[in-house]
Amino acid sequence: MKIAFVVQRYGMEINGGAELHCRWIAEHMKKYYEVEVLTTKAYDYITWENYYLDDIEEINGVLVRRFPVARPRNPMRFGRIQQFVFHHEHKIDDELKWLEEEGPLAPALIKYIDQHRADYDYFIFFSYRYYHSYWGIQTVPEKSILVPTAEHDPVVYLRIFKELFSLPRAFIYNSEEEKNMIQRVANNSHILGKVVGVGIEIPSSWPTQQVLEQRGIASDYLVYIGRIDENKGCDKLFQYFLKFKERTNYPVKLVLVGSTKLTIPHHPDLIYLGFVSEEEKFAILQGALLLIMPSFYESLSMVTLEAWALEKPVLANAHCEVLQGQCQRSQGGLYYENYAEFEETLKLLLEDDKLREILSQNGRRYFESNYTWEVIEQKYNYIISKLEEEKENK
Amino acid sequence: MGEDKKQKFSAEEMEIKIDYENIDVEEIMNQIKRKIASRPAQEIEQQEEETRNDYRETIPPPLTSPPGGLRSKIRRILLKLMRPFAPLIKLMVLPVDEELRETVENLDYSNRRLDGLTERLHQELSRIDQILGRLESKIDLNHQLVNERLELAFKDLGRAKEYTKLLHQLTHNLVVEMTKLKIEKDHLKIQSRILEKDLAFLNRREKEVEKKVFS
Repeated sequence: MKIAFVVQRYGMEINGGAELHCRWIAEHMKKYYEVEVLTTKAYDYITWENYYLDDIEEINGVLVRRFPVARPRNPMRFGRIQQFVFHHEHKIDDELKWLEEEGPLAPALIKYIDQHRADYDYFIFFSYRYYHSYWGIQTVPEKSILVPTAEHDPVVYLRIFKELFSLPRAFIYNSEEEKNMIQRVANNSHILGKVVGVGIEIPSSWPTQQVLEQRGIASDYLVYIGRIDENKGCDKLFQYFLKFKERTNYPVKLVLVGSTKLTIPHHPDLIYLGFVSEEEKFAILQGALLLIMPSFYESLSMVTLEAWALEKPVLANAHCEVLQGQCQRSQGGLYYENYAEFEETLKLLLEDDKLREILSQNGRRYFESNYTWEVIEQKYNYIISKLEEEKENK
Repeated sequence: MGEDKKQKFSAEEMEIKIDYENIDVEEIMNQIKRKIASRPAQEIEQQEEETRNDYRETIPPPLTSPPGGLRSKIRRILLKLMRPFAPLIKLMVLPVDEELRETVENLDYSNRRLDGLTERLHQELSRIDQILGRLESKIDLNHQLVNERLELAFKDLGRAKEYTKLLHQLTHNLVVEMTKLKIEKDHLKIQSRILEKDLAFLNRREKEVEKKVFS
């Protein structure tokens, strides 16, 4: 059986979001099926400008076919169209125009799917909101499986997607909340769908002490790992953390790991480490008291799973339904809606070592029963076998 | 965490009860919410307000900006002082005709866009007129059809009304006749009972007469 994974970007340099999710799944499923990746030549997710030169390459044993982006995204134009589509009465054509700007505009990829549909048994599309998924699924609905990676933002309510969500043969969701949201929007509960998510790659060892010494981290700290920008709620996190420090003077620091699009306030208790290697990331996470996830929009949050895998409790933003749901299902973290709750929950977690320990153990158990690679692979195989059964019964 | 490093909180603040054997995150959060809600509203509002307003004051200058020396201070002050004269400086530095030309070009571009939009608006309006015309004729036709059907339905309804009236009359007559027949039947029953009694009396009389005749 031959399966194509279709995703907006793909490469070893891309280390987050749906793209990394896709890469890990593709690399794990290659032991069961013949796997190929169909993607674009883009690297920058803002402009989608062509970056990779080769049309075909092999990454970790997976064949990757790259197709050029016909026109890079103009962020200003995209912003204008998005503003109009989100806030004004508009036509379907406007939404399609938005989709074209959203990109990555790679008609050659869609053409390839159309011409080679017979070569593949299934096409697994990642991220519903991009050009490749919308037009790809329209091209081969009978062979499509969609991994929506949807967040609860205005995009999911666009009319074009309601129709799209009724086309694929199956859905692979990241969380219960995502499944409920998409079924509520598209009324498509009759389509096969399973909450799967993604497994986590944990390095065999990491030199925690050495990394902390190198980075000069000597005291207790909380950690945030991910893109540092407003969409991830980091501005609110700085605001709350500095207020917390001012009010309680608690001897704890906040370590920030990841690339930043935000100006980080200069404060002795805010330690910005920038982009770090995977091993360093795990070392820093291992040394932390807990992980803070201030993001408003998440469809899964892989770093939260990583924290639980390393037996670290999580303090999450309750405005993100997924994070709140994950904390409740795992019993592995607390959550806050406003500053008062942030202060109370953080104080409780810092003061109560026993609570932290139990939450950590719960998180680890939740991770082991839902997010180890054996579980994830089984779930993917189950979906494929179900679709095969349906095919035979027809 | 070292005990000495910890900030001690008052007993009132540590009142959340946790069942460590059976941790329930939702329950802990509910307790936290209740605890916050029990505080005076003023305090909560003030806290939120402070968090919002004092953010800029709390946060020191950005990490990425260079440290402010004497030169940059003087530069900032000079720029502040020069701000009211900025249009004049601009006027002196940039040739006026270039600005004028740019403005005229912009205006011309705007005019052309407006013309294009007006033309498109007219086209759209005429298209809407055509659609409305087609819709009106369709509505007239439908109206006529509906009227015809309504007339037929009313005729049928009239006939049904008369028929119902007749049925009602017939039922009434039947009831009257049935009543009459019942009365007749009762009358006949009484008469037959009287005749039976008369017959019994005659039998007795006959036996008495026979006794007298043969004795």
